[in-house]
This record gives sequence, C-alpha cells and structure tokens, in this order.
Amino acid sequence: MADLGACDPAIAAVRDESGCRRVDAVRDEHRGHRGGDDAVVVAEGVVKHWGSTLALAGADVRVGPGVTGLLGANGSGKTTLLGLLLGLHRPDQGSIRVLGLDPTAAGPEVRARVGYSPEHHSLPPDVKAVDFVRHVAELHGLPRREATGRASDVLWQVGLGEERVRPLGTMSTGQRQRVKLAQAIVHDPVLVLLDEPTEGLDPVQRDDMLALIRRIGDDFGIHVLLSSHVLDEVERVADGAVILHAGAVVSSGSLSELQATSHGGVVVEVAGDHRPLLAALAERGLPVGVQGDRIFVEGGVEAFDVVRDELARLELPVRRLEPRRRSLEEVFLSSGLLGGQARAAIARPEPPAAPAADEVAELSS
Amino acid sequence: MTVPVPAGDAPRARILDRGYRRYSGPRTQVRGAMVTTWRQSVQRALGLRRSTWAKVLPIASVLISYVPAIVFIGLVALLPEDEFIDSGIALPTYGEYFPFIQAALTLFIAFVAPEVLCTDRRTGMVGIYLASPLNRDTYLLSKAAAVVTVLSMVTIGPPLLMLVAYILQGVGPDGPAGVAATLLRIVGGGLVMAILYAAVSLGVSALTDRKAFATATVLLLVVVSSVFLGVLVDVADLPDAFHAVNLLIGPISLVQLIHGEPLVEFDGLTLPFAIAGAAAWTLVGATVCRVRYQLLQVTR
Repeated sequence: MADLGACDPAIAAVRDESGCRRVDAVRDEHRGHRGGDDAVVVAEGVVKHWGSTLALAGADVRVGPGVTGLLGANGSGKTTLLGLLLGLHRPDQGSIRVLGLDPTAAGPEVRARVGYSPEHHSLPPDVKAVDFVRHVAELHGLPRREATGRASDVLWQVGLGEERVRPLGTMSTGQRQRVKLAQAIVHDPVLVLLDEPTEGLDPVQRDDMLALIRRIGDDFGIHVLLSSHVLDEVERVADGAVILHAGAVVSSGSLSELQATSHGGVVVEVAGDHRPLLAALAERGLPVGVQGDRIFVEGGVEAFDVVRDELARLELPVRRLEPRRRSLEEVFLSSGLLGGQARAAIARPEPPAAPAADEVAELSS
Repeated sequence: MTVPVPAGDAPRARILDRGYRRYSGPRTQVRGAMVTTWRQSVQRALGLRRSTWAKVLPIASVLISYVPAIVFIGLVALLPEDEFIDSGIALPTYGEYFPFIQAALTLFIAFVAPEVLCTDRRTGMVGIYLASPLNRDTYLLSKAAAVVTVLSMVTIGPPLLMLVAYILQGVGPDGPAGVAATLLRIVGGGLVMAILYAAVSLGVSALTDRKAFATATVLLLVVVSSVFLGVLVDVADLPDAFHAVNLLIGPISLVQLIHGEPLVEFDGLTLPFAIAGAAAWTLVGATVCRVRYQLLQVTR
C-alpha cells in the first residue's frame, strides 16, 4: 500500500519519521477496542457562545466505543457539540479530543476519519444519489475508482441499491435519510456523527433506520454518536448515552449504568397465583405495584433479599427476579431536566427547575 | 426478475449480502478534496451530469463568446489575401476582442459563481464539504479556482483560438518569440479578467443563498458601476483614470493595455491605474467572501 504522499501539513501531529502515517494505521488504534477503556471522544469543560447565547456551558463528555446516544431537548447544545467535534468551530474554553486528536489543530485529519450526517433534509435535488455519495467519498480522500465502487456498495447496504441512479430531488424523506447515512459511512470512517437521523420518518422507516444504525455499530465496526431528542431511539440502539441539558452534561455512561439503580427495587414474576407473595411483601412493609403478571417492589438493596426469602418461604416457582431498570425517560426526569437555552453564566448556575409536562412529552415522543 | 437458466446448468450461488468492505488504501487528504471539489464545481457550472435545461445557458454563453472569433477566422480563411486587403476590413486585435462579446461575458460571470456557491449553501452541501478534510479557506479556494477555470473558457479561449487559427493561416505574430509573447499576453490578460470577475461575483454570491438574487446583483453591479462612473467622468469632468473601477470598461481596458495597445477613448487610463482598479475590486470581492464564510454557521 502506498503511503499518504499528499498528507497535509495541518496533520503533522500524526506524522512519523518516515512521513505521513496511514489513515488506516491510525484508525486501527481505535478500532478493535470495543468493550475496552479507550474513549472515542473526550471533551472537558467545553464552553461555546454564539453571540450572547451560551450554547455549551462547561460540558464534560466522554464517548466510548460502540453506539452512543447524545440526548437532549432542542437547544440543549447537541448540534453545537457535533460542530466542535468536527473542528468546524473553536471552543471558547475547554479541550476536545476526537480519536486522540485535537480537532481545532488537526481538523482535516479528524474529519478524514469521521463521517457526518447533518440534520437538514435538503440535498442537491438534481444530483443522482450515486454521484453524490461518490463525491463525498472522494472528498474524504478515496481515489475515484474506489469511490465509485464503494458508493454503489454502500447505497446497496442502506437499501437503495435499485434507487441509486435516481436524482435526490425525486426521493422521499426516508430515502434521503438513507442517502445521508450512506455518504457518512462511504469512506469507511472510524466514527460517524448522526444528527437526528430519524427526523421526519414514519414508524416503519424509523425502525429500519435504527436497525441500520445498530448494524453500522455492530457489523461494520464503526463507532456511532447518535444525536437525538427521542429517548426511545437511543434506548433501542445505543450502548451508552450522554445527556445534555442547557449546555452541560447531566448524565453519561453506559446504558446499563444509567438505567440500573441500586435503589430502584426489584421486578418479580412468578408462575401461578401471586397474591400470597403480595400479601407477604405488604406484611413486611414493602410498597408494591402490579402490572400484568409482574410485581414491582420498591426499596433499596434489602428489597431483593426480602423478596428472595419470601419466594423461598412460599415455595413459589419464579419466572423473573431482577433489579428494576429505569427507562431513559426516568433518568431524564430524575435529573430534573428542562429544554431551552444554556444557563446565563457558568459562574452562577441556577438550580434546575422541575420538568415541564410538554417538554417531557417531546423528549419521550 | 427471473433469469432463465438452461436446463442442467442451475445457478450454484447467489449474492445475499455484499457486506461492508473496509478501506485500507491511501487517502489524498486536503489536496484530493480540493481537486474533487474543483472538478465537481466546474461540472456544475457547465451543467455537466445535469439535466438538458441546466446545460443551455452555460453552453450558449460559451458558444456566443466564440462566434466573433470564428467569424474573423472565417474571413481570413475564405477571402484571398489581396481581396481581403482591398476590402478594407480591419481585423480586431486580441485586446479589442472583448467588446464584441461584452453581453455574453457579463451574463456568463453573473451566473457562474452563484451556481457554484449559492447552491451549496441552499442545499446544505456546504456542511458536508466542511465535514470533510476541507476547511473554509480550502473550500473557498477550490470554488474560486473552479469559477476562474470556467470564466477562462470565455476570457482566454476565443483569443487563443484566433491566435492558433491566424498562425495556421500565416497571418499570426512573427516568429516563435512573437507567438510566445502574444500567447503570454492572452493567457495573462484572460486570467486577470477571470480572477477579477470571479472575486466580484463570489463576493456577491457569498451574501445570499438565492442564485437569482446573486445573478441579478452581479448584473446590477456591473451595469450600475459602468453607468455611474461614465456619467461621473463625463459630467464632473473627472480624469479617465476613474474608469479603472468601472466593471465593464476597466477590465477590458486592462486587457488591451496588457497587449500593449493604446486606449483611444480613455487615454488617461494607464496600466498602473487599470491594475490598481482591478486589484481593488478583486480584494473587495475576496474579502467579503472570506469574511462571510468565516462567520457562517454550518452545522444546522
């Protein structure tokens, strides 16, 4: 393989003594670490103003391998954060590392290894899908012949094999979302940033798109940062989540960490009549709720022991006994989140207000 | 679709999934991104790989700009030399060519840059470009190079055609040195004109997402600057040097001066003034364009 004879002086940070380092060599440092400790994105204390508006108020973000959801209401700073990760803007304060590189100093190198699908639906209407995707592949440095082959392949992968020669202006919103996804992965990036990729899709198209995103993370081995304000989507496809509110990160981690809670109680399901168990738990003073065959027992760590003991005493056959998991919606609500603009000043942060009903509805829609 | 298979020759395999291929080959980084942006922009401006309607205006403008050159070449080729001299027809010099194609040239400069620049912002492509190894400056440089390339088809192409045809017919410049000097002047003058008009039209195009507004504004700017300065020089009796900032007369006069031809109508407009006028417009256009793009928020 030839080396990067044309690499840019701006990417001197990734040159070695023999010249330019290969993109794939650098990339492989970040691939194959799924489940490891390597963070794909690390941002610390990032502050960004747009005029007098504070878009990011000291955000600390750590995105691990796999599919990560970037959650937040409209105006919470998601798109601004994506722009900063791409090196399109400079943060006013703080530092950012994407794939181990500083995007403000090595922007071209970062962007060569990152795919991006923007939020807007408008694409050049008179350009064929395959021409558009090929052009983006070439923009990211692929030779013309390789770009042509990969453009067709990747459109096939996203389910547009038969439609690839159609002009973009004649495509439906769902098809255009797929084209945007195709152009984001055509150059075999290490990380792909998807800004609201299910916007404007009907439920069936949304399911298909989410399955595709999951496949990109699992089968293609590309790390995904999925920006969305729809909790359910992130819950379905992501390995982890970063929750932004008013320009700051209020919660982040793997989905299992976010959802699991040692204070959330127990879910239990038994074969047969569960009324004796309900009575026994009530006698022990544990609040319980019933939904279908499932019994939700509230309480701390001790609740698990109590339930286990009562099940054993009553000799009830157990179908399910597990810690109760919170939905992301509950995580959101427990953080006391509201959408809207960032706090007016970092120095004097205001305490978060109680969530408004309409905003919660939007977030969980 | 069912493909008939000859009996006894049943297919043994079929493609269920092509899989996702890794790419581990070389990448061209910023230089490759600039080249592909330049190529795509040239194609877009000329309507290539687009509908027939998109090709009509650029191809018509280019063809019209070549018509006078073809006519002059035809006259030289068809009329015998003595008959041609007797007829008293004076062929235009290379510097005098542009007034013949002023309308086509103005129309061409008014729609090329808006097509190349406004379309990207209107369709959101600028966000995709800037999410590639390009940054704002390299993106603009590629776009400017594309506009200059396309404009050069009109500002360099016709005089170059005339030169080649005249040489073939034996009425061109004398000797290799004469040919080289003329060639240099044609390319230099054409490039200066293309760069000047590219900068002005890119500056205007950077201010609006709508191609029609940008095209109309470029046309207005060219016509109004010409009329306003013409009146100012005539009525206020200002020196001819003021025509250096006239967007019609200035560039055409500059090309004539580059060819070493005297300006009969505007003898006060000398080469230094003409260069200063062209440089001023180029600087203003380029600065407006760059500042606008530095301030552009592109992730939405």
